[in-house]
Amino acid sequence: MESVPLTWEEVARVYGRKIYNFAYRLTGNPDDAHDLVQEVLIRVRRGLASYQPGSFEGWLWRITRNAFLDDIRRQKRRPTTPLPDDVDRWDRASTESADSEYARISLGDDIQKALLQLPIDFREAVVLCDVVGLSYEEIAQACAVPIGTVRSRIHRGRKMLKETLQ
Amino acid sequence: MTHPSESISAYLDGELHGSELSQLVDHLGSCGRCSAEMEDLQRVRAAVRSLPVLELPRGVVPDADPVVVPLRRHKGMWAGVAAAVVIAMIAIAALVTPDPQTSLYELNSRFGARASLDPAFGPAKIVVPPLVSE
Repeated sequence: MESVPLTWEEVARVYGRKIYNFAYRLTGNPDDAHDLVQEVLIRVRRGLASYQPGSFEGWLWRITRNAFLDDIRRQKRRPTTPLPDDVDRWDRASTESADSEYARISLGDDIQKALLQLPIDFREAVVLCDVVGLSYEEIAQACAVPIGTVRSRIHRGRKMLKETLQ
Repeated sequence: MTHPSESISAYLDGELHGSELSQLVDHLGSCGRCSAEMEDLQRVRAAVRSLPVLELPRGVVPDADPVVVPLRRHKGMWAGVAAAVVIAMIAIAALVTPDPQTSLYELNSRFGARASLDPAFGPAKIVVPPLVSE
């Protein structure tokens, strides 16, 4: 059985960056990602007291995607906010040439925009798989759907991304 | 011919097993359409995975800076006992807590590798989460 972080601070330290990346790729803007991470940590803090030993990652990502979906419902918005100019520049490697870096940023922009055009179910499945790195079984637990559904969503999401990026 | 399109993404993710895996591999060997689709999906998958990992901006996770927690002004014996216990704990923490300027070599020798690998390892801290309105 996997070990479980004892405190929400530990969860924040260990998983904070992952949750932020998940949130950013789903929402497409840093402010929403910021808010979502804090909401997730609040829910983790509340939930740890009643946490039943099991798949901690499944539990954590279920909380995360539920927080995201609640936010969507609450604000009645579609997360298609235009990207800021400096998106994806934060971890720029100083050794890269300006041209190759510009190409990399532009490519990242295109992919991010394409992700935001996916239906939410497909987007979260693709992001959980390719950004967060969860297995299909973990994604199934997080999204409370059968593995076959996860497989279908990831595949259809990638096909839609391909059409958008062409 | 039936094209097992949906299995291709699962195959790329290492999520295909047993007879389903062998059937797809056989099929890919004889079907140009599915082979081409696999190449397309592989490119998309690699593109999403190439997105840069974003660092957590400061302030997203509450800072673990030490803060002063005021003692409640209880009078009587138990308040005195509690104050003595707190003072003793602070004194012990001061003795066992590594100085921020302590070298990695010294930290390693005292506390093991975690001291230099884990940025959260450091002085004992009292964390007060931000007030949140529901």
